[in-house]
Amino acid sequence: MLSLQILINGILLGGLYSCIAVGFSLVWGVLNIINILHGSMIVLGAYAAFFAYSQLGIHPFAFIPIAGLSLFILGYGLQAKIINRVMGAPVLITLTLTFGLNLILDNMMMVAFKADYRKIILDPPLGLLELGSLLIPIDRLYAMVLALGLVGCLYAILRATQIGRAIVAVRMDRDAAALMGVKVKQIYAVTFATGAFMAGAAGCLMSVIFPISPLTSNAFLGKAFVVCVLGGLGSMPGVILGGILLGLLESFGTLWLGPDFSTTIAFVVLLTLLMFRPTGLLGKRGFE
Amino acid sequence: MRTQIKNLLRHALQGLMLTTAVVSTSVIAQESVLVGAPLPLTGPLSPEGTKLQRGYDLWVEEVNKAGGIAVGNKKLPVKIIYYDYQSNTPKAVQLAEKLVIDDKVNFLFSPFGSGATKAASAVSEKYGVPTLAPTASSVEVYDRGYKNLFGTFTPNDSLTEPLADLVKSGAPEVKRVAILSRNDLYPLALGQDFEKSAKKRGIEVVYFDKYPIGALDHASAITQIRSSKPDWIVVTGYINDLILIRKQLGDQKVRPVVLTMINGPVYQEFIDATGPLSNNVTTATWWHPAARYTSQDLFKSSENYTKLFKAKYKDDPDFTNATGSAVGVLLQLAIERAGSLDRDKVRASLAAGNFKTFFGPLSFSPEGYANSYIPPIIQVQNGRSAVLYPKAIKSGDFRLGLD
Repeated sequence: MLSLQILINGILLGGLYSCIAVGFSLVWGVLNIINILHGSMIVLGAYAAFFAYSQLGIHPFAFIPIAGLSLFILGYGLQAKIINRVMGAPVLITLTLTFGLNLILDNMMMVAFKADYRKIILDPPLGLLELGSLLIPIDRLYAMVLALGLVGCLYAILRATQIGRAIVAVRMDRDAAALMGVKVKQIYAVTFATGAFMAGAAGCLMSVIFPISPLTSNAFLGKAFVVCVLGGLGSMPGVILGGILLGLLESFGTLWLGPDFSTTIAFVVLLTLLMFRPTGLLGKRGFE
Repeated sequence: MRTQIKNLLRHALQGLMLTTAVVSTSVIAQESVLVGAPLPLTGPLSPEGTKLQRGYDLWVEEVNKAGGIAVGNKKLPVKIIYYDYQSNTPKAVQLAEKLVIDDKVNFLFSPFGSGATKAASAVSEKYGVPTLAPTASSVEVYDRGYKNLFGTFTPNDSLTEPLADLVKSGAPEVKRVAILSRNDLYPLALGQDFEKSAKKRGIEVVYFDKYPIGALDHASAITQIRSSKPDWIVVTGYINDLILIRKQLGDQKVRPVVLTMINGPVYQEFIDATGPLSNNVTTATWWHPAARYTSQDLFKSSENYTKLFKAKYKDDPDFTNATGSAVGVLLQLAIERAGSLDRDKVRASLAAGNFKTFFGPLSFSPEGYANSYIPPIIQVQNGRSAVLYPKAIKSGDFRLGLD
């Protein structure tokens, strides 16, 4: 029974991690940008949801499209006006740029909201799903559903819509896509904005699950990074798999070695995987 | 011959200028009391750094309003030089050294937390600078035989012993305790002291483990705690850890007879972020606005301190704010008693103890930590902090069980 609860903990945690990582994976996989801003955008979405709930009474789930759209606009503007200027440069240049933008965003949030931790307390609370002696917190279940939903939507968009095909084309060969009449810079902006949308959506849910502060952005970014490397870039299902794998490793790591070593075990597995399969579990070559 | 005389005159003139410069600089330094305060104003510890700074600033404002610190027969204004060490301990140590060497401060206030205080205390000892530690409670901080460190917090067992006594007498059905500590100097030391206090009273420690700094999930540790069936759970860490752990304890329906979390629940932030889950959580702290000390410092009493703090910041002071102001009044009282800014004299004055402050009576052990007052035990009851102990300021009865 203990192991079964730990298994469930791990899968739910994995769902949470996937939710955090999906936007990050899209931007890295398609644009080859390591978006250091990602964690802060999640936090911004979380703050927006927090204030919408505490000041206006809007439920964080209902707020997801609004938070997502606001961050979409922010992301579009950032990519179109700033990051597009260094597209095609070595990946460390874009990393430095997003690092600097992250510092600005983080500190702006710290000035605006202070570093006090905030959390949404839903009334009535979402509660638990009880299956015998197994307990499933419903908010984490929703995080899993949201992650699957976001990945599913993205999968559908990339396969079935004009703009989705254009994004895939730009990812495959930027110059050839440009020759086919695809407006590459616009596609970059839409992709980054979509990643930001997902960060905002994830943030709404995070404000229910975690205490939020500008200081939490690095924690989210760190997990997103590990999930993407584990699951592999260029693959949306890889995000889900990577997230769940990380969640399981940390949960069973706690059981076998104690909570203190749970993150160590995850990183040891990560390093081993990188040695034998650097593209990650489901990654495709070309985005190392 | 003429050149030699010229050279001699030139050197003499340079020597004279240098001496004048040195003498005049040292004369200038005596026109205010300079205190160095490295703080984590950015980074993960910035909430705590800002709280300390508020405490310092209130003291500086009040003391300068009254003309300054009385040093012998004149009054000197106080100036605190702040540097932000970005929650990075090695940087705190570097900045402490910079404050001593470049800024030539007379005294130092330690950086935040037991870990950084211990690291920076090496600088104080090297240069013989009396240093006041506002936030260092672990005895490990004071175990190097240094003579320059004086802390306002009583050691960790002054929190764990009274709490264990309260549980033993007020909840006799408690037989098993589980302890979860953050893997950090102070929270872990506190957890270890809880283990000792529990064992001393025949309470079995059925679980004791530590979680890493920056952990985003505690579900599996809590699952293990649940399976060990404790009556009393103790969790140590900083506020973000405790908010998350309290929520996840609720997620797994873990409802011990007594839940103790240190130090988060004393902050309103914790109560706001956990809502109904905060009810009946016990904690302990070194100072609380309910304290009723009268003092010989410029605040005159704890009540007056609370009043002045509220007027300036529109908020009740918590123990971190208060300890910031406390090191200020302590330094002031020590200098006034010594009658000079001479470091040896002030150090001796501090070591002699017997200071009546708004924070409590302050005297120090030979190692340098305070050992002169009883920290209050608090329980959150319906969104408010009730003081359970000591009896003199008790404002509520110990409640058992969680919602």
